Amino acid sequence: MLGGLVQAIFSGLASGWIYVLIALGLALVFSIMRILMFAHGEIYMLGAYVVYYICVKGGISFLWGILISALALGILGIFIEKVLFRPIRGQMEPAILAAIGLTLVFQTTAVIAFGSYNKFIPAIVPGVLNIGGVRLAWDRMLIVFLGLVLTLGLFLVIRKTKIGQAMLAISQDPNAAALQGINVNDISSFTMGIGCALAAIAGALMGSLLNLTPQMGTLAITKGIAVIVLGGIGSVTGAVLGGLILGLVDGIVPLYADSTTAAIAGFCVIILILLIRPKGLLGHD
Amino acid sequence: MKASRNWSWPFSIIILLAIPLLFRDNNYYLHIFVLVAINIILTASLRAIASVGQISMGAMAFAGIGAYTSAILMKKMAFPFFVAFPLAGVASMIAAAVIAYPFVRVTGIYFTMLTLFLGEVIRLIITEWTSMTGGSSGMLKIPSIGSFSLSGINVDFIHLVPYCYLVFILMALSLLFLYRIDRTQIGTTLEAIEKDEKVAESVGINVIRFKVLIFCIGSFFMGLAGSLYAHHLRVLNPNSFGLFPSIYIMIYMVVGGRKRFSGSIIGALVLTLIPELSRTLKEYQPYVFAAVLFLVLFLLRQGLVDLVERIETRIAKGRERRIEHA
Repeated sequence: MLGGLVQAIFSGLASGWIYVLIALGLALVFSIMRILMFAHGEIYMLGAYVVYYICVKGGISFLWGILISALALGILGIFIEKVLFRPIRGQMEPAILAAIGLTLVFQTTAVIAFGSYNKFIPAIVPGVLNIGGVRLAWDRMLIVFLGLVLTLGLFLVIRKTKIGQAMLAISQDPNAAALQGINVNDISSFTMGIGCALAAIAGALMGSLLNLTPQMGTLAITKGIAVIVLGGIGSVTGAVLGGLILGLVDGIVPLYADSTTAAIAGFCVIILILLIRPKGLLGHD
Repeated sequence: MKASRNWSWPFSIIILLAIPLLFRDNNYYLHIFVLVAINIILTASLRAIASVGQISMGAMAFAGIGAYTSAILMKKMAFPFFVAFPLAGVASMIAAAVIAYPFVRVTGIYFTMLTLFLGEVIRLIITEWTSMTGGSSGMLKIPSIGSFSLSGINVDFIHLVPYCYLVFILMALSLLFLYRIDRTQIGTTLEAIEKDEKVAESVGINVIRFKVLIFCIGSFFMGLAGSLYAHHLRVLNPNSFGLFPSIYIMIYMVVGGRKRFSGSIIGALVLTLIPELSRTLKEYQPYVFAAVLFLVLFLLRQGLVDLVERIETRIAKGRERRIEHA
């Protein structure tokens, strides 16, 4: 029983880090552009498919696949920011319109191009580590490690580099930041690029745990929104905390309750948090 | 506003009266027009709730409460439709009233997120409550509206033409009610709340009370629309009331344009018809829908009603010029 719990915690951590990667992009884009990027789930889906075609069909190693996928979708993110989201920065209704339009385009393209049959990426590192009866899969360990590295990297970028400081400034007050000579447009592009690259990596990692379908983005965006609401919309630290909490809940609760009940309870907790503390656990004005 | 009122009312009534007769041989089109009518009620109700500046992403969830209430009342308790229909609205309104007070205190994007998760909770509860709702495998064999007899007049709604008229009448009544709200002092008050809540409060408007009021009224009509939906399709599945169907209703509203009441009607009409008319494109069909969204986004930021408004100003200008020349 204890072994089962440890295993559940562990696999919860792995999916938790994937949620963190999705939510980081959502939180970054929200804090810089004040829009909720609903098409983030589709970027995640595309990221997974790019890795599938590069690695499974092309026979190139998984890490290179992730790198190429992140780069390709990062560039796509910069492109859609410039064309679509720049004119509607800070406006919620048009942003949702644009994002749903993108979702339709990406999902339909995926169905046509990739087919609606499930595909899967084989485990990155096969095998399990057996510690006294507790079986820990190597690929999940790699996911936790990659997630940790990427998150730390992002924090370093935000804290130590000029671009990161500019991002912080814009998230506090875009007008004041612009007056200080910060190019809000460029930083927005950069943010969207980073967000989409992280989503692509998340998709690729999830693709090695679950199947790939053109509809996989829908669940991802629901989870991503739940995470940023939990942590505080726009808070990067909150996204990490929220993602890990949600991952652990997802991992542990199915041991004790059926999954629908668990989902209802989870959403009710999020509703309560929104009612009592709308800015989330770590959010501030 | 001024010019349009003259022709748009009789015009729409004539169209509504003509459609069932024109398409009486084509059940498929009548079926689509019923769906259009249902979507129009939903969009107009959502616009009513949004008129205080709170965009809900749970429209279909409230429709779901209405749909399942009405379906269960008719199927399991053999209620007649004309009793089950208003009760569907009431059930949805009660659900709204229970959560309204804490909910409407949360504003902006946080309110939108709240309604999103509430919608998911409602959908999951419907899925989980298998004994009543049939769960995720759906609820089948829901009775249709049936017949109606009153003092010798007997109308059987099995036939699509009278059925279509009935749906249109119910839609027209709902729209009339929502339009009256929009145009009376309540509408003005709601607009004041959207513009600036603090100012509205300072002139003595009970902001929370009005927000609760409109949230409940909107949910009532969503419930009614849900009831029509249930007895029209006669099959219900919890996934029809999930996040994306709700987002679609929101998109109808934004694409139509929130500025004017007619925006909801135009948005729901155009965006319901487009997928049906482009059915021949098969898997490429969503591209057409997306194209309309991008078109509105880039060219008509105020929504499709903006197009109507522009044409009107042009006509008005032309008339002025002609008067000047004369």
